[in-house]
Amino acid sequence: MRILVIEDEPKLAKAVKEGLEADDYSISLAHSGEDGFYQLCQERFDLAILDVMLPGRDGFEILKSVRQMGLLIPVLLLTARDAVEDRVRGLDIGADDYLVKPFAFPELQARVRALLRRGTPEAAASSRLGDLELDISRCSVTRGGQRIDLTAKEYEILEYLFRHKGRVVSREMLVRDVWKEPGRQTPLDNVIDVHVNHLRKKLDDNYSRKLLHTVRGLGFVLREDET
Amino acid sequence: MQPFGSLPLRVRLTIWYVEVLAAMLILFIAGTSFVLYFQLFHQLTRFAVQDVETVEGLLSFQPDGRLTLNEDYHNHAQSRYVLERLLEVITPEGRVIYKNERLGSNLLDSAPFAGEGVNGYSERSSRLQNGQRVVLVSRRHNLEGRPIIIRLGYDQAAIWSRIQEFLTASVTALPVLLGLAAFFGYQLARRSLLPLQDMANRAEHITAERLDQRLPIANPNDELGQLAASFNTVLNRLEQSFHQLRRFTSDASHELRTPLAAIRSVGEVGLQNSRTASEYQDTIGSMLEEVTRLTKLVEALLTFSRADEGRVELAVSQFSPLDLTREVVGLVEVLADERHQEVLVSGEESVRVCGDRLLLRQALINVLQNAVKYSPDGGKIWVVVGTAVSGRATVTVSDSGPGIPLEHRSKIFDRFYRIDEARTRETGGAGLGLSIANWAVQAQGGEIRVEDSDHGATFLIELPIK
Repeated sequence: MRILVIEDEPKLAKAVKEGLEADDYSISLAHSGEDGFYQLCQERFDLAILDVMLPGRDGFEILKSVRQMGLLIPVLLLTARDAVEDRVRGLDIGADDYLVKPFAFPELQARVRALLRRGTPEAAASSRLGDLELDISRCSVTRGGQRIDLTAKEYEILEYLFRHKGRVVSREMLVRDVWKEPGRQTPLDNVIDVHVNHLRKKLDDNYSRKLLHTVRGLGFVLREDET
Repeated sequence: MQPFGSLPLRVRLTIWYVEVLAAMLILFIAGTSFVLYFQLFHQLTRFAVQDVETVEGLLSFQPDGRLTLNEDYHNHAQSRYVLERLLEVITPEGRVIYKNERLGSNLLDSAPFAGEGVNGYSERSSRLQNGQRVVLVSRRHNLEGRPIIIRLGYDQAAIWSRIQEFLTASVTALPVLLGLAAFFGYQLARRSLLPLQDMANRAEHITAERLDQRLPIANPNDELGQLAASFNTVLNRLEQSFHQLRRFTSDASHELRTPLAAIRSVGEVGLQNSRTASEYQDTIGSMLEEVTRLTKLVEALLTFSRADEGRVELAVSQFSPLDLTREVVGLVEVLADERHQEVLVSGEESVRVCGDRLLLRQALINVLQNAVKYSPDGGKIWVVVGTAVSGRATVTVSDSGPGIPLEHRSKIFDRFYRIDEARTRETGGAGLGLSIANWAVQAQGGEIRVEDSDHGATFLIELPIK
């Protein structure tokens, strides 16, 4: 999968490149709108990540030109402005998604995965992790054959973590996708932490092999190793 | 008024004043001349009427049939030349039978009209052949059995010369009067506008750095006093806004500096010695935690900036505050459970409010989190939905914490305000939760305040119902 990142801030561009390369994507960088537009016209990419505030032609203009040329490549807008009208404008011009800076990197990874999937819903790829088993049809969770009773919220969190198994899930993602909070502002971090702690207790307390980990400063991850 | 637009106010006032005065004086002079003319005319006519009677007694027919006027009664022969009368006697057929010397070759009037002087005196104005205008009075008499018409005239020039004298005097005096009026008018305008000039001078010295200055109010009841008072009110508000802005900027910088300092120290310490991978991970994670704090702070600041600019559009709808309350309690209840606190929701099902549900939800979340934060373990939190006396909907959130001391109540909704600085780190927030709640409630025409209560703190949110 080839992704073009059009971003003029070199540190951020480098971080995005390295972070996404770790996910086995092939990344090209463009540091200006003109350069990005040229590359988009010359080569074939599966996704473009486009910064809105660029020197010269800004992201909105690039996007407009790209759509006028009939290129249907999925575009993810990065913007430092999160006013509703800016977001609406971006989506109206033909962006497929937007992300407000500063963003959590797991969030970017998740959006990129979603855009590259293009509509095919991400079902829980596998509902097994070690001896932990999630039965989606029956909404039941067992570990080592032992049934674990979860509240509705805990079950939703676990299912979401299963869907992103092995990848870090940020609190922002949980707020949006599990709590379905419309506002970015809703201060629910402590609420999330409490629910995740409850879930962790039920999943891991009686087992030496921990599955639900907190990644400090990032979020949570469901995986078998112990780091 | 346009050509005077660029002149100073005192000059314009003087010009208007002089203009009005001139118009009034001219009207007065014209009116007086008119009245004067009619009075003099009337006087002359009366005089002529009396003279007709005198003349009648002096007329007599000579034996040869000539009519003569006996003027021998004068003590001095020349005295008769002093008399200004013009005299003519005619027969009813129009034949002139007597003319005095002063009349000379002129005729006072043409042939008599029917009934001239028959019943009383015929008074009129007439013009002689030589162009002289006269007041003319005629009277019919029987003199020694023969009917005659006595016509007696007086020159109107006397009237006109009087009027002319009056006009000359008035018109000469007019510029002098207007000049005096202009001078005193200007002085008056200048003097009454002097305080304004003073105000302008003082106002010029009031700058953003010296907003504490105020204009003096000499007389609070006159126009200038009122102007100064309004100006001072504006200055008060301006000073307050500036003060708030400065405090906000300094508070915000302080709040931003704290996580920045943490990031810096953690990063610097982390780089000083080589560490294990997991130690590095911990260092980076710790820095990212601070970044998250910074991000949330910046987002809150952006929210405020948008709110201050009035750029927030409300999505107004009708909804049940009780449903919303249950929803919000469901969301944050887990925090209360964690500390064995109990959240009790009660209220009227039928109450509806009209507002932005999302904004109100945010406000309620903040207020409830605050209640959980400050209630002790095992405490209780009451949320009651009801109706105020005013008919507005109310949501009351009471906790069982230490309550809010009176002196803090007015500031509790201020940005970055915390009752206890020391509790900051322990409990998280940057002191913005309640001020965001306050803004969110006010934005939809509601009000939030701290109520008196005997236990803990009670927040009352009042909301419009339509």
